[in-house]
Amino acid sequence: MGGKCNISSTVEVLLISVMVIVAVVPQWLLGDFPVELFGAPLNIIVLLLCMVCTVELYRRRATSRLAQYLLSMRATWLSLLLMVVVALVLGLQREPSSESWGVVVAMLFVLTHLQMVIMRGWRSAGGVRWRFVLNHVGLWLALAAGYYGAADREQLRVVVERDATTSVAYDMSGVMHTVEYELQLKEFTASYYDNGTPSHFEAHVAVDGDVVPLKVNHPYMLTWSDTLYLVSYDSDTPCKYCVVELVSEPWRWLTMLGIVMLIVGAVLMFLRGPRMATTEKYRCER
Amino acid sequence: MMLGWNIFPYVAGVVFALALLGAVVALRSRNRSRVAIIMSVLAVVVMSAFVAALWLTLERPPLRTMGETRLWYSLFLLLAGVFTYIRWSYRWVLSFSTLMATVFMTINILRPELHDQTLMPALQSVWFVPHVTVYMFSYALLGCATLLSLYGLVRPRADVGEAVERLIYGGVAFFSVGMLTGALWAKEAWGAYWSWDAKEAWAAVTWAIYLIALHLGAGRRRFYLCVVLGFVALQMCWWGISYLPSAADSVHAYN
Repeated sequence: MGGKCNISSTVEVLLISVMVIVAVVPQWLLGDFPVELFGAPLNIIVLLLCMVCTVELYRRRATSRLAQYLLSMRATWLSLLLMVVVALVLGLQREPSSESWGVVVAMLFVLTHLQMVIMRGWRSAGGVRWRFVLNHVGLWLALAAGYYGAADREQLRVVVERDATTSVAYDMSGVMHTVEYELQLKEFTASYYDNGTPSHFEAHVAVDGDVVPLKVNHPYMLTWSDTLYLVSYDSDTPCKYCVVELVSEPWRWLTMLGIVMLIVGAVLMFLRGPRMATTEKYRCER
Repeated sequence: MMLGWNIFPYVAGVVFALALLGAVVALRSRNRSRVAIIMSVLAVVVMSAFVAALWLTLERPPLRTMGETRLWYSLFLLLAGVFTYIRWSYRWVLSFSTLMATVFMTINILRPELHDQTLMPALQSVWFVPHVTVYMFSYALLGCATLLSLYGLVRPRADVGEAVERLIYGGVAFFSVGMLTGALWAKEAWGAYWSWDAKEAWAAVTWAIYLIALHLGAGRRRFYLCVVLGFVALQMCWWGISYLPSAADSVHAYN
């Protein structure tokens, strides 16, 4: 991600100290980061502000030591190290929460650094550096959409019964909500292997009167942001209900765009390989 | 139904003999050896035929259990070895790939696992085969890179650094595609691209460590150490997580 920059490690030490303080003190005093307060349009405003501040910082790179540090290879290593630490901490927890202040601060640093190196490296004398752009912009998009869009994501479960329509849903904390749609189970089919493992199950659910099929790996997209998933069912015969999950995620397409860019970038990475053979690098270093 | 699995020790023996012959011929030849390539390709063909037969016998892709993924890993190790040998003519690479493939084939002989026909609905997806096979291919490339890195730590040489870097580029590219197709599949199956499940978290750890290696630049001691550390994380991601309490509720437990 980064480039060559002769920077004193003082900036790095200061920056890490600030990040540790911001990660630890509010966590200790207030608990997890209040993600729910940053729903649209506040998250969009914060994102734009962060982008503008980073652009301004980049413009001052000739004089600002912070900007020089954020463009250095050391900042790249720190970004990736922070990603390792965040993933390790979350990976070792039984119920991982990505809403701690530590994760928020680490992600902010990673996104700022990524934006800085994208602004510097998106083109060279030979034109646009497509592999670089796809990999770095793709990563920035995927991370930024997940990070800033977290507050707008809603995940609700509905017990859909055969006998009556319902609009009552529950979030993951068990809090009741009312969804905009009337749901009712119309038909349910299931088949099993000899050992009792389900081989296939499918529900037909009426959404405001329109019957839609639902099965695992085949969700139903209600709108550009809302999707219905079949997550569970009544194992009795005949099946009296199924559990449907309504996921609303307005930022999903940005995440998907980031992922697709990263996939294309990875293919180019395989096809083109390292920019310069190691032996040539040795020659250059000498 | 179990015919495919019952003949595996014999298949493994034939594959080992062919791959070993190819590796020895390659080691003894100054230039790229056609005999070594033919023997190695034959080993890949025999292994592929076995995997295909198992696929047909089970009536589902043999990618569900740990033992089944080891089969693919052995196959892709051999394939990665022969590809690297054809492309860059490193005469020692076939020895490494044969050694590693043999280790995993031996584990499968000593610890055979039940290979039944069941394939739970969550795995019945168009993403299943590309997601797992791409991962297995990346594991194979990264495994070769790790062995070479250990060699590079003992005897640092420019050509070893170059080979490791090329393997890491290929390995990370395939690993990224595996991880990202997994994210797309997760969105389709569970409604979230990423949920910090133990498997996903360790995949992110592995990915980030290899990205550090890529940004360190090849040939230096810390580069080789980073590649080795990445492979340790990869083992956690592949099978090590089953020993962690955090993986008890993992949505990636299919055995």
